[in-house]
Amino acid sequence: MRQARILWHLVKADFLTRVRRTSFLLTMGFTLYVGYETFAGHIVLRLGDYRGVYNSAWVGALMGIVTSSLLSLAGFYIVKGSILRDEQTRVGQILAATPMSKSFYTVAKWMGNFVVLASMVGVMAVAAVCMQLLRGEERTLHWGALVGPLAFLALPAMAFVAALAVLWETVPVLRGGVGNVVYFFAWSSLLSLGIGAVMAHAGPVQTRAYFQDFTGMPTLMNQMRSALVRVDPGFQNEFSLTIASGVPLKRFVWNGMVWSGAQVAARLAWVGYGLLAVLLAKVFFHRFDPARMGARAWMRGGWRRRAETSLERAEVIELKAARGLAQQSREGWRGMLTPVPRGEEKTRFFALVAAELRLMLQGQKWWWYAGAAGLFVGCLAAPLNTGRTGVLVAAWLWPLLLWAPMGNREARWSTESLVYASPHALGRQLPAAWLAGVVVAMATGGGLAIRLGIAGDGHGLIGWAVGACFIPSLALACGVWSGGSKLFEALYTVWWYAGALHHAAGLDYTGVVASSARPGVYAGLTLMLLGAAWMGRRAKLAYA
Amino acid sequence: MKLAMENVGKCYRGRVWALRQFSLELKPGVLGLLGPNGAGKTTLMSILATITRATEGRVLWDGVDLAAQPNALRRVLGYLPQDFGLYPNLNAQEFLEYLAAVKGLEAKVAQRRIDQLLDLVNLQDVRKRPLGGFSGGMKQRVGIAQALLNDPELLIVDEPTAGLDPEERVRFRNLLTELSGERIVILSTHIVSDVEATATDIALIAGGHLVAHAAPEDLLRRVEGKVWEWVVPSADLHGVKEAYRVSSTARRSDGVHVRVLTEEPPPGAQPVMATLEDAYLDALSAHRAGAMAVPA
Repeated sequence: MRQARILWHLVKADFLTRVRRTSFLLTMGFTLYVGYETFAGHIVLRLGDYRGVYNSAWVGALMGIVTSSLLSLAGFYIVKGSILRDEQTRVGQILAATPMSKSFYTVAKWMGNFVVLASMVGVMAVAAVCMQLLRGEERTLHWGALVGPLAFLALPAMAFVAALAVLWETVPVLRGGVGNVVYFFAWSSLLSLGIGAVMAHAGPVQTRAYFQDFTGMPTLMNQMRSALVRVDPGFQNEFSLTIASGVPLKRFVWNGMVWSGAQVAARLAWVGYGLLAVLLAKVFFHRFDPARMGARAWMRGGWRRRAETSLERAEVIELKAARGLAQQSREGWRGMLTPVPRGEEKTRFFALVAAELRLMLQGQKWWWYAGAAGLFVGCLAAPLNTGRTGVLVAAWLWPLLLWAPMGNREARWSTESLVYASPHALGRQLPAAWLAGVVVAMATGGGLAIRLGIAGDGHGLIGWAVGACFIPSLALACGVWSGGSKLFEALYTVWWYAGALHHAAGLDYTGVVASSARPGVYAGLTLMLLGAAWMGRRAKLAYA
Repeated sequence: MKLAMENVGKCYRGRVWALRQFSLELKPGVLGLLGPNGAGKTTLMSILATITRATEGRVLWDGVDLAAQPNALRRVLGYLPQDFGLYPNLNAQEFLEYLAAVKGLEAKVAQRRIDQLLDLVNLQDVRKRPLGGFSGGMKQRVGIAQALLNDPELLIVDEPTAGLDPEERVRFRNLLTELSGERIVILSTHIVSDVEATATDIALIAGGHLVAHAAPEDLLRRVEGKVWEWVVPSADLHGVKEAYRVSSTARRSDGVHVRVLTEEPPPGAQPVMATLEDAYLDALSAHRAGAMAVPA
């Protein structure tokens, strides 16, 4: 009973901390927007030329699929960070000094994450009710059919995502930007695994396939397919969750999921997988021990054999400094400092760009430079087409973690008061940071620019230059407005995957593949993002 | 060189006034800004450092309004905030080089000053160590160095000795004293002895209002003959605290040495020399009692 009370208070405090932040309101706004888009018929679940009649079953299924698929990706980035927050606010150190066990803490964090995601699912449930009533194709509400998909599909998926967020935060190499990128690929792999297991074959689905279905989406679609085949035996297994095209679709009536014991068990199994992930997280959890916080401490000292802790390091440095102090003469300081000439102000903008570039590159290991150099040479040496579609794509993913702190570095490390009290903080520092990001993009992908120049491909060269400007603009705008790096890491990874790697229409920002390049659009977008970054930073400064 | 605050006020969300009708004119020297928690000191510092904008009133630097030309002050401003961070992957040298570039310093001058400042704050030996491994006191010293990078004419330091060991604290006080001749230094602190050692002027601030602005000697003069000390048994201490404004107590073998602020001498008490802490407590309690007669 006492444990339950402690757990309740931990989850409650965690939840209140989040919901009172502006970012939570933005997140809810995003959820409402997705709900509205679905409600307004802009997001359509198509089965070939068909869609279901908007009865409770179809609306619930549609909302369940949208929530389960989109929120399982976005939700991770939304909830990840609660352990980090305890670390940064030093609340973690207070908690670590209590008798609370590591497993208790990780479970509490899991539940806190889950409650946040569940509240979003709740918003989608309300949207589902509104959607059915307002669309009016079938006004009778069947609560089980309407809310069932959200409860059985979305909530177990959210429980699993909430657990992964805890696991990611405790495993040192996954805590930062690398983890954010890795999650996208883990998510897409899990999605593919489920679709492959449940829907690859037209015949009966094996029970174990349901246990591989993370979102529950294919499980649901499989039953829809069976219902549609009865209406139209010629149906060719074409499913898509798309933006409405305006083309009228044929309608069929679907009366909802018939849940088998195995399917329910499979959904609950994902809650169990979540619990396993949390228990694994407990093994990695550092309990706010400074010796184990951060990937570097992990790499250097190992997890069990604690090497020099950061506190110990500080003491060693302090002792050395004290020794220096003892040796130092006690003469006064007057006249010791070189005067700074006052006079005509020079902007020294490029010195600041160089400083921003150094700041950006600081802490990178030799292998990062080796990789960047390799990609530059690869762009230069590979056949032009391979350079366009392969090497450049990699070259513009490689510095992702360098771009991600743009616009939010000051907030993250609490240096705003130092930087913003400098002359022309808006007019010099922000453009310098942006230009440093452009230099990085141009350096890693520069090999291809040389090749395009040699080949006389002016359009490709322009597209490439626009792409190199677009990426840091996106990073800067995301960083300034979100105050963190997660938004860019998540958004850029998805954009890169769809646009740069798969050349999805309108999303290819690299600008070097003629069929998908939109340099004009991306030039405009770059300007808009720069404007947004400028306005965001301007709002944070008392004076421009 | 003149810094003038004219009826400055700052209102935060929820109509909470952190500062109200604050007027003060400063010339070169060290101003010790004293006040209890929540008095409005940090708000005032943030306004002067151009970090936040005053809701009402104006701040003039050499006659130029900060709202119109903030960069006129920023070019000659050194600011050490109470809470600030450092980039953990940079070392002290690199961090100062970065801020020198942000402040627009010429590279050669910046290099020389960084070198000298690292000596000054006693971080020369560890200049190449990542800041992430620095202790609180060392981070504070990096903060002090960055505030002095551009040879500021206005130096604003908020709780600068927090986290410094006693020896470093004395060094910093001496540094402030030596720097003060040709610039305006504003030192905000809870530590009265820091102010006592360095300030040429003192501003007492409470509830967002300027309670007093005077030279330390003037403030001390106001409590002259009002500070008394005597020894009481431990059992009587509670009663003494009820009856008098106690400035300090010290337990010794002969009983508790009690120091009080009062017009009338308590029975058996001896008059003692007033300290700045006595003057501070006296001014604050008078302000709280609503009977402040000290002209601002």
